[in-house]
Amino acid sequence: MFQLDVKSRKSIYEQIVDNCKELIIAGVLAPNDKLPSVRELSAMLTVNPNTIQKAYRELEQSGWIYTVSGLGCFVSESRHAPDPLQIRALLDKIEPLVRELLFLGVPAESIRQALDKMIRKGGGSR
Amino acid sequence: MIQVTELSKCFDGFSALSGLNVHVETGSIYGLIGVNGSGKTTLIKHLTGVYMPDAGQVTFDGEDIYENTVLKERLGYIPDDLYFFNSYSIRDMASFYRKIYPAWNEQRYRDMLREFGLPAVRKISKFSKGMQKQAAFILVMSTMPDYLILDEPIDGLDPLIRKRVWRYVVSDVAERQMTVLVSSHNLREMEGICDSIGILSEGRMMIERDLEELKTDIHKIQVAFKEEKERPLSNLNILHREKRGSVELLIVRNAGNLVKSELEKEDPAILDMLPLSLEEIFIYEMGGENSEIQSILF
Repeated sequence: MFQLDVKSRKSIYEQIVDNCKELIIAGVLAPNDKLPSVRELSAMLTVNPNTIQKAYRELEQSGWIYTVSGLGCFVSESRHAPDPLQIRALLDKIEPLVRELLFLGVPAESIRQALDKMIRKGGGSR
Repeated sequence: MIQVTELSKCFDGFSALSGLNVHVETGSIYGLIGVNGSGKTTLIKHLTGVYMPDAGQVTFDGEDIYENTVLKERLGYIPDDLYFFNSYSIRDMASFYRKIYPAWNEQRYRDMLREFGLPAVRKISKFSKGMQKQAAFILVMSTMPDYLILDEPIDGLDPLIRKRVWRYVVSDVAERQMTVLVSSHNLREMEGICDSIGILSEGRMMIERDLEELKTDIHKIQVAFKEEKERPLSNLNILHREKRGSVELLIVRNAGNLVKSELEKEDPAILDMLPLSLEEIFIYEMGGENSEIQSILF
């Protein structure tokens, strides 16, 4: 379920963090599901266990997962207040795409509609 | 924890190592890199207690390694130039190792022999180079070392075997907190496996850091501005700056957030930030003033 791209410029640590988030967002990992243990994942991906430990720690700090000592890591029920820096970084990722669409002559209204549709699909309230 | 403090070594007036410091945390995989002749193998021969330091100390969890046979029973070492006794087979070597290493694990030896598919009774000297390397690996891993030192371990091994070798290493790190130091020129492979990196240059430690920190600290940036003017960007630690048409290429050693906010003040039309690969960091650090190397790279 985890895929690493060794050619990516993203570090392995980041790839594991992002991979976990994607699986949780997509619902593949449901709340209270157990994540593979550091040992399992390290053997599965042939990755340094310290790197996986670090990625799990990062996910725990940002509230995506929780640890039960002796049992392992589990997906959190609800997220903590999201980090404003993280939100900023994600919004920054949209900007160049919007700019490219505008450059290609896509009318602002169509972009707005497309975004609205995505928000509805993602289960957003507004 | 493996600790080297102020280690110096001279050979016939040539100073191979001078005031070298190395720290390898318990349970970490430490990548030792450096150009040819920078002292990697000399350091490794001190770490394995082969050389006596001229000055300084080499300790494993506080104990000196030199002439320390009790400590060496817990140390696994695969040298670059392998050595097997004349006309010995893997089985002969195993019975020798069994007597020397108290932690010898017969079950693991049998499992590994089966998994790697090497003949136990053929003379090792008749093996191909890659098979000899695998034989050495099987023997060393069966001694269940607490410390593992590998000098160019993966050279000459095919990708499947390499993967298998690394899997044994990472699982021993995960399960028994084995401490690993590995020297290699295969930086891409090191990047995937190590958590800390030491860059040796002329017998000194140039950089010794957590790999992740090292990488988040140095960025390659492509930026283009709408209007032409002098931009000193004096708040940034710029290592390299180059103009290619209307796009500027920067190598900056700063935290990512700072780089971004500083450059955004100038209202860029394009701003792309890329982390550097270990290979690029290495060549940049080693290439130094040599602009020819840099131009190939950036």
